[in-house]
Amino acid sequence: MAGYLFLSPAILFYLVFLLFPVGLSVYISFTNWNMLAPLERARWVGFSNYTYLLTRDDMFIASLKNTLVYALGTVFIGMAIALGVALLINNVRGSALWRFLIFAPVVTPAIAVGRIWGGIYHPSQGYLNQLLRAVGLPPQQWLSSAELALPSIMATAIWAGVGATVIVFIAGLRNIPAQYYEAARIDGARPWHEFWHITLPLLRPTVLFLSVTGLISAWQVFDLVYSMALGGTESGTTPARAVMVVALYLYTTAFRSLRAGRATAGALILFVIIFGLTLILLRVLRRGGLEAYE
Amino acid sequence: MSSRDAGPAASRRRPPWLAVVGTLRFVVTLAVAAAMFLPFFWMFSSSLMTYQESIRVPPVWWPEVPQWHHYLEVLRDPRVPLGLYFKNSVIVSSAVTLLVLVTSSMAGYALTKLDFPGRDAIFRLFLATMMFPAFLFLVPVYYILKRMPLMGGNDILGLGGTGALQSHLALILPFAVSAWGIFLMRQFMMSVPDELVDAARIDGASELSIWSRIMLPLTRPALATIAIFTFIGQWNYLLWPLIVTTSAQHLATVPVGIRMMATAYSTALNAGKLQAATVMAIVPTIVLFLTMQRHYIRGFALTGFK
Repeated sequence: MAGYLFLSPAILFYLVFLLFPVGLSVYISFTNWNMLAPLERARWVGFSNYTYLLTRDDMFIASLKNTLVYALGTVFIGMAIALGVALLINNVRGSALWRFLIFAPVVTPAIAVGRIWGGIYHPSQGYLNQLLRAVGLPPQQWLSSAELALPSIMATAIWAGVGATVIVFIAGLRNIPAQYYEAARIDGARPWHEFWHITLPLLRPTVLFLSVTGLISAWQVFDLVYSMALGGTESGTTPARAVMVVALYLYTTAFRSLRAGRATAGALILFVIIFGLTLILLRVLRRGGLEAYE
Repeated sequence: MSSRDAGPAASRRRPPWLAVVGTLRFVVTLAVAAAMFLPFFWMFSSSLMTYQESIRVPPVWWPEVPQWHHYLEVLRDPRVPLGLYFKNSVIVSSAVTLLVLVTSSMAGYALTKLDFPGRDAIFRLFLATMMFPAFLFLVPVYYILKRMPLMGGNDILGLGGTGALQSHLALILPFAVSAWGIFLMRQFMMSVPDELVDAARIDGASELSIWSRIMLPLTRPALATIAIFTFIGQWNYLLWPLIVTTSAQHLATVPVGIRMMATAYSTALNAGKLQAATVMAIVPTIVLFLTMQRHYIRGFALTGFK
């Protein structure tokens, strides 16, 4: 009995703000509710929100593609850079300063990170183009061209998130027993061999863990794209199709266009994608013989 | 790597390529450090520049005469109430942190030291929700808050008024439970010996006092990690406050405030003031991180991600 009492606060909030809303989401996704009229009066439209999104809504399809590119790019390029930085600063002097430098962007609100980099990317006043001009190269439309906008945002996302990944890699590196390196060195191994045959294989659980958690959160990216690209899409300087990610699409659909039914259907599609992705990754991990992920 | 070279190999002559690798490593380290640091430096230095300096080619790194008055002008500007943003952020982040600590540690205690049917199933259900994207909740939670009975002019059926939407509760209640917090507390409480709890029970202690007098003090490191992690996470959270404050601007938190400041200072001539406002908005999180970084970094090492 005491067990239920101790769990009751958690369960209460959990039911009201997690489980019930998920059920309500499914219901809303079958209606044409506009958030203003009472939900009870919203018309039941069956699967039409889903079929519209998946077959006729170019912007939603574009947002799925952009989010896929964003997720794969930021997670895997970010991990490669983070591994390099982790190897660089593991065992290095002055690690407190290092931790601060790479972690400052992680604790900075993403909307502020977006502001900082929005300034750096600014076509006329931004440092990046001023530097390009100073060395005689043509300035670029970093955030408003169809080709560069998404990669520019991804570069910022990698800059902002690399510190967190580095910390996890350093934790993984410290778990590798020193004897392995000692034994390899007696056998005459060079640093490159050590990395390839000891460090990388033994870091595999860390890499896989970072892939799963990284991809799940990258599919939901909102703050950075909102702060760096929404202004451009609204003023027409950035083609919306180039930067629209799923979360931004759902936000504008629900809370600006007030199409709650359609947005909720989109959220459920997003859930299915993330869920499927996680299942696939978990299966790959188990095949890799990693009991830790059972 | 260099510290490990003190083995038998070190007694031999160092091969020359090792010096090249060492130099290369130093250069790369310096480049990474610059890449992490320069954007912040640029934000700060451009907050002190005149408009003319901020657009000069080649770029100016440091203003001739720092325009410190940008900071004072932002603080005095009624269009960007920084004090209000801070107050809202402190209220919301503290309340969420406190609630998460209470719900997580109580649930952690029940899930490890108390026996009842369905215990493991409930835990697995909590864990499963970590995979739900936030967007699944936004629309229905907005609706639920609006229909809160007897709040914001609502009647007993939750009709007629604005519900909880016009108060801080709208920003606090949906985040009172954290699956991650419950998971972490359960992990920590499993390492507390059952004998300790049983001995206290035999001495006649109630479950509530075992939880508060034995478990809470013993799990203080975990509580600190959850607290700092939750606080900074809430402080930086944009999406939900953005939605709620569209109809309740007096609830704007710091991230929403940064967004509003961009509108207030949208003309190029105000670039310096906008940068000054952004600097002031991010200093508290950085300071908080600096003082609590041990706990914060452990949160990352334990879970990998926000």
